[in-house]
Amino acid sequence: MASSREDLSQFDISQEEKDKLVAEVIRYVLFKTHQNSGCPIKRDELTQIITKNYRQRALPAFVIHAAREKLSTIFGYEMKELQRSRPSSANQGRASQQIGSTTGIVGQLPADVYRKYVEDVNTAHLTGFTFVIISIVYLAGGKIAEDGLWHHMRRMGLYENEENHPVLGNIKQALEALVQQRYLQKDKANGHEGNTLFYELAERALDETINNKIKEYISQIVKNDGASPDID
Amino acid sequence: MPELSWRHHALIQALLSRGPLIEDDFHAIFSGITGKDPGAHRQQFDDYLLKINKELSYVHFELRGCRNQYDGKVYYGVVNNVSDEQSKLGTKYTVPQLAFYKGIIEAIVQDVSAQGHISDIEALNIRLENQVLTGTESESQGVPPAVPAAFKNFSISQKEKTLDELVKDRWLSSTPDGKIRLGVRSFLDLRSWFHNNYVPSCDVCNEAGVKAELCRNEGCTTRIHLYCLKKKFSQKRVERVCPGCGTQWQHSSIADAAIEEEDEPNRPNQRRQPPPPAAAAAATRKRLRSCKIEDEEENNGASSSQTCVPVSSTDFRRITRKSARLR
Repeated sequence: MASSREDLSQFDISQEEKDKLVAEVIRYVLFKTHQNSGCPIKRDELTQIITKNYRQRALPAFVIHAAREKLSTIFGYEMKELQRSRPSSANQGRASQQIGSTTGIVGQLPADVYRKYVEDVNTAHLTGFTFVIISIVYLAGGKIAEDGLWHHMRRMGLYENEENHPVLGNIKQALEALVQQRYLQKDKANGHEGNTLFYELAERALDETINNKIKEYISQIVKNDGASPDID
Repeated sequence: MPELSWRHHALIQALLSRGPLIEDDFHAIFSGITGKDPGAHRQQFDDYLLKINKELSYVHFELRGCRNQYDGKVYYGVVNNVSDEQSKLGTKYTVPQLAFYKGIIEAIVQDVSAQGHISDIEALNIRLENQVLTGTESESQGVPPAVPAAFKNFSISQKEKTLDELVKDRWLSSTPDGKIRLGVRSFLDLRSWFHNNYVPSCDVCNEAGVKAELCRNEGCTTRIHLYCLKKKFSQKRVERVCPGCGTQWQHSSIADAAIEEEDEPNRPNQRRQPPPPAAAAAATRKRLRSCKIEDEEENNGASSSQTCVPVSSTDFRRITRKSARLR
């Protein structure tokens, strides 16, 4: 613990103050994640918790780092930082504000333990939906036109105008939630037919661990199917 | 400092992800994760929870169990102990919805008959305006605070929707005959609120007696949870009198419980007996029901000392009491 005392002395705050800040950050992350159903949180929101009352330059990074460690040791949650990429068709006005990083929490438990004891079966359908949509976009090369995506979704019985799907409710909203949770991002591009909306994989789907898992699952499905996948 | 292992993490995450879990389920998870059944390894179970809570206290959380007062079953959950800016974010409910919930809770705990419920009609008639007066802001200047428009315009259909959501999220529960009760989350979360708001406690366990049996003496304020009553009076040498005023405690509540438990679907093997005309059978059922057979001998003696006769429940149900003192 000697090193942390040294670190603290460079900031001129007490252990209690530091613990208080770390706890606030952790609580913020947990409560906010619950409130917005798993959407990542902007790093700025976390730094604000510290800069609200403290001016030391490097303090926010120090506290967030400590919070990340505590989240891991207390809860077994990993707080990942996702680099938010510039949309491929640079929409200049918006892009500059959007660049930054967001954080999301994932579990560190072995998959079988998670599945058996932790997973909330009531939300499993959303995970399934997320996986399917991401896979479609992935197989389309990481980017797909809005029409193309709906074409595939219709083949699965998911229609744009459906508001009362027995499992997913409002389909459009379910898709929009994936954008908010940073699995997908939307882009407009100037096509020959005018503006087309594109869906692209966003930072959460591009994150290495998740990306690898997706590739793994897709290859399993394709292998099991035998017949070559029909991508039109 | 000894750290938590993946096993502790799994327990915490299970509760966070799935919400409050009934004791059996939580024990099953514990067994699955640690290989030890909490029933047989009580000390280890308690140690695990103690260790978890030591760590959780860093962020002012606690893993605790509490009883659902309507069925006496224990539920475990992770609760937040401090209300601060961060925890205020942790809700998907809007301000008027929260005021509505608070109004319902207050109406339920203020039920003088300690039945712990209100009808759905009463719930829909809750007025949000009353919630404005109980905020801290109103304590200054003596000027009644303005009622937000959102409170005034909170329609019946919005209330209905909110009720459904609250029941779905287990803050409230509803019975088939349209009664609104506290949900498991409320029991877990509102423990300190009950104490701060002077909700009368159970004489035996000292937890709020939201759903409890009342002493039949009008002047006595003693109330005891049914499950606490059963435990207390199941001991042979305990006289079945009110600990507050000495009045004989209404036997019917114990006998009723015996008949109620008869209908419980979870324990079919022990419940096949038809409702008995005599006290002896009531004692038998009590013996089968208790999970910890602490004293084998008392069961043989119980039948002789009992004079309880099953009576219809309507005779002794309390309708009104003046003595309930609630804020």
